[in-house]
Order: sequence, then structure tokens, then C-alpha cells
Amino acid sequence: MRIPILKLHKYLLISVQVELDDQTALQFQEDLLNKIHQEGSLGVVIDLTSVEMIDSYIAKVLGDVVDMSNLMGAKVVLTGIQPAVAITLIDMGIMLHEVPTALDLEQGLEKLQQELED
Amino acid sequence: MQPSIIQMIHNQRHYIIDNWLEEINTVQTETVGNNVPKEMDDETNRKFIEMIIDTLEYEQREAKGKLRGFVERLIYSGWPLSYFTRGMQSFRSVLLETMSSGEGVNSKRIFETFYEIETWVDGIVNQIADEYSGSWENTIQLQRHALNELSAPLIPVFEKISVMPLVGTIDTERAKLIMENVLEGIIEHRSHVVLIDITGVPVVDTMVAHHIIQAAEAIRLVGAECILVGIRPEIAQTIVNLGIDLGKLQTKSTLQQGIEAGLQMTQRKIVKCNTESASSVVIGG
Amino acid sequence: MGIQSNVEVQTEWGIVSARQAGRNLAKEAGFSSVDQARIATAISELARNIYLYANNGEIIIEFLENENVSPPRRGIKITARDEGPGIDNIRNAMEDGYTTSGGLGAGLPGVKRLMDEFDIDSRSGVGTEITAIKWLR
Ligand SMILES: Nc1ncnc2c1ncn2[C@@H]1O[C@H](COP(=O)(O)OP(=O)(O)OP(=O)(O)O)[C@@H](O)[C@H]1O
Ligand SMILES: [Mg+2]
Repeated sequence: MRIPILKLHKYLLISVQVELDDQTALQFQEDLLNKIHQEGSLGVVIDLTSVEMIDSYIAKVLGDVVDMSNLMGAKVVLTGIQPAVAITLIDMGIMLHEVPTALDLEQGLEKLQQELED
Repeated sequence: MQPSIIQMIHNQRHYIIDNWLEEINTVQTETVGNNVPKEMDDETNRKFIEMIIDTLEYEQREAKGKLRGFVERLIYSGWPLSYFTRGMQSFRSVLLETMSSGEGVNSKRIFETFYEIETWVDGIVNQIADEYSGSWENTIQLQRHALNELSAPLIPVFEKISVMPLVGTIDTERAKLIMENVLEGIIEHRSHVVLIDITGVPVVDTMVAHHIIQAAEAIRLVGAECILVGIRPEIAQTIVNLGIDLGKLQTKSTLQQGIEAGLQMTQRKIVKCNTESASSVVIGG
Repeated sequence: MGIQSNVEVQTEWGIVSARQAGRNLAKEAGFSSVDQARIATAISELARNIYLYANNGEIIIEFLENENVSPPRRGIKITARDEGPGIDNIRNAMEDGYTTSGGLGAGLPGVKRLMDEFDIDSRSGVGTEITAIKWLR
């Protein structure tokens, strides 16, 4: 299963609509990094509104994706993390400290723009 | 208990009850003053002590059941525990006094009698205390429930800015509920900035601070930002004295400052408008 | 209610089916959406540990009903069982950040916090059995 990656000017938009099993998550990591490279993207918004659960493994993959993208010069914003997901992450002791977040895709794009301005 | 003792108590029933009612009046003035509530009137007292004596007729389990029902009602009507225990103490002295003044009781029997009566009354006192602590725990449960329901929802004050006022003591149970309320509220109101107002929180210890930090982290994860407001001087002192690290959590001393900061974070500010022209509009209209 | 599901964990798909089964049962039992997520996440952690460290094993998800206490308590019990290498040092494994596989080391301590009761029984060379319960509030 592959997660579609959309291009919008210098940005990439991803809306995760499938159950994130390990394989899908790893495939996504690879696809995204390739796409950033191909397109020379400056920013990425990953929308997680439809994701019902993030366990420690998926959290690690997501955190890694953010770090790797940053290394390649693309800022990443995570959006739409559901309350139940946020609470389980906190319970698990997973803070995703350095990762910028926003309420939804639209806000995420705005945040990217702001971050890239200053 | 030996049938002979039960028999004796029954023979002296009226005398015992009357004596006890007199004693309990003294206890009453000592525990509740002169204003005896109607839940402790002679009639109720009499029913109580008659019920205690009647339990001698039943076998143990049945007696316990009868006592429980009655005591529960009295606890509910507001009889304090001290009133029960003092009342039972007087009951014991009245009993012992009656027994020792009774005719045909030799000194060896009296010792046994005392012992049996002590055990009986102690058993009743213990049961009352148990009922009491049981009902006490229930009450705490109920209050805890009420407190949880009391935890306010997130209040939107401006577009994109919401306030979560915290009032009272925050334990783990409540902290969980508050967190859920805040996060659901953020999604519902599309809040960008959440002000957690701790003006109404009496003590901020490491535990409370921990809950607040976790709430702030969760708020950040769903995509909003959090400012802690309502930090009174003594709260600032305890936070520093306890060495609590609030991390990167933004703080302000008043809600007002928090709102100003929130407006700034959402690229807005409050401006004063020209009052003269405003009032002339009103007059002109 | 005597509902129970057993899921074999042999592949990564076992992890997904176990957590989905858990979420469904949690929903049926009347857990809030937050608790559903907690239960699904806990199952995911335990199932992944089986897959990673013991190769295969099973996850049992049961509905619990305890009538002997008042008020009666209802909940969901997860049992994760394998006959893998066992955990040498349970105390270490329960520490935040401890991992032997380059993970976050958040799994076991996380499960303990997500659930209400947690019990771990592991013997070197014999296997591991972890049980965790979440009570309905
Ligand atoms: N079923 C098991 N059999 C054998 N060893 C186990 C088992 N489960 C856990 N362990 C050991 O306990 C350690 C801690 O497990 P835990 O789930 O907390 O972290 P992790 O799996 O290493 O990382 P994460 O779960 O955050 O991805 C593991 O690294 C592993 O060594
Ligand atoms: Mg693990």
C-alpha cells in the first residue's frame, strides 16, 4: 500500500488515509525522501486526521521522517493529530518535541510559510 | 450471649431505656449544644436503643442486617459518628450499672456478665464504625464524581483563542478528564491558542505541574499552542522552590496578559477606538 | 459476555489484526474513543514485541466482568504470550528508553501507563507472558 504524495508549488502535501502498518510507514518514508529530492521541496505537511492510532514504532518512523527531511532542507509540519492519539502518545512518554504541529492542512501550510519567512 | 443475661436485660428493659435516654441527653448537649436537631429527638433515640436491644432476639446475621439498615438511615439523617460511639458508651454503663445492682447476681457471675456485655457492645460499635466509613467512602466517591463533572469545558473567548479555567485540586483522574476536555474543545473551536488559567488552583506541587506540562504537550500535538496563566506570587515561589521545570511552557501572571499574548501570536491586537465619534454616532442615530 | 479473540502474531499483519480486534472489542464494550486508542496502542506494542523478539506468539483479548465487587467492574484484558528468548532483565526492560533493537524503548513502560493493570512473567529461554487490563470507568 502506498500513500499518495501531492505537490503544491514548493511544498509536498500528504494526507494519510490508510491504517499505518509498518510496511506502509517505511515505504512512505522512502517515497517522501525521494520526492523531496526530485522536486527540491522546501516544506512538507503530513496530515494525520484519519490516523486512529500511533504506537511507538510509527512514532519513531514519523520522527525519523521529520529529521531526515530536515537534513534534506525541507521543513515538516504534522497536522490533524487526533485528541485520542495525542493522549496515548503522552501516556507512552513520546513527545515528538521538535516537530512543528498545526490543526489542519490549511493551518499547516500557513505555518510552513511563516517558518520559511523567518 | 447467655440466655440468662438476655433475660435480665429484657426484664429491666424499661429501666435501661429510660436511664439511657437521660444519659443521651447529656451527650447531646455536649456534642451538638442546646439546639438538638429533630433527627436526634427522644423518639428517634428511643427507636434506636429499642432496636439495639431487640437485636438480642435475632441470630447474629439477622441482627447485623437489622442494625445495618437502621444505622444507615441514621447516618444519612446526619447522626455524627461521635454521637453513636458516645451513645453506645452510655448504653454500656447503663447496662453494667443495671446488672450489678440487680438482685441475685454473685460476684463470679458479674464478671462473666460484664465480659459478655462488653463484647456485645463493642461488636455493635465496630459495626457502626464500619457502616460509617463505608458511607464515608461512598460520599467521597460521589463528591469526586461531582468534581469531575464540574471540570469546566474549554471556553472560546476570541476567534482562535480559548481559556481553560482550572478550579480546585487536581488529581490524576481529574487531570485526565481535563486533558480530554481541552483537546476535544480545541478541535471543536479551532483554537490556535489555549490559556490554562490556574488562578483557582490552591496548590501547585510537582504532581500538578506534571499534569499541566503533559496537557501542554498534548495541546501542542493536536496543533495548538498553550500559555499557562494565573500564576500568583506564591505559586511562582513554590514552583521555583520545588525545582519544578516547566520546560518551554510559556507563562503569564494574569489572564489578561495571556489574552494579549494570544492575540499577538495570532497576529492581532486590541485597539482603542475613538469614543467621541462612537458616541456621536449613537446620538446621531 | 464471553467474547474473546485470539490472534496469532507471526507477521507484521498479525500486529495490525490484533490491534484492530482490540479496538473493535473495546468499542463494543463501551470504552471512550481515548481508551479505545489506548487499548489498541497497547496491543500494538505487545504484538510488535512478540514479532520482533520472539518471532511468533499470540495475543488474546478478552472481555472481563467481575460481579464480586461492588459496583461490578467490567473491562478488557490483553494477554501476550510467546515462547521466545524471554526478557533477561525485566527491570531494565520496564525503563523508559531501554531498547535492544534501536527502538524508542517506549513500548513496555508505555503499555503499563496506558492500561490500569500490568503484569509480566518472563523466563529466560522459556518465553514471556504479559497481561494488562483496562477497566471501564
Ligand atoms: N516478548 C519479548 N520477548 C523477549 N524480549 C522482549 C519481549 N518484549 C520486550 N523485550 C525486551 O524488552 C526491551 C524493551 O521493550 P520495549 O517494547 O519497551 O522497547 P523496544 O521494543 O525496544 O522499543 P519500542 O517498543 O519503543 O519500539 C526490548 O528491547 C527487548 O529487549
Ligand atoms: Mg517494543
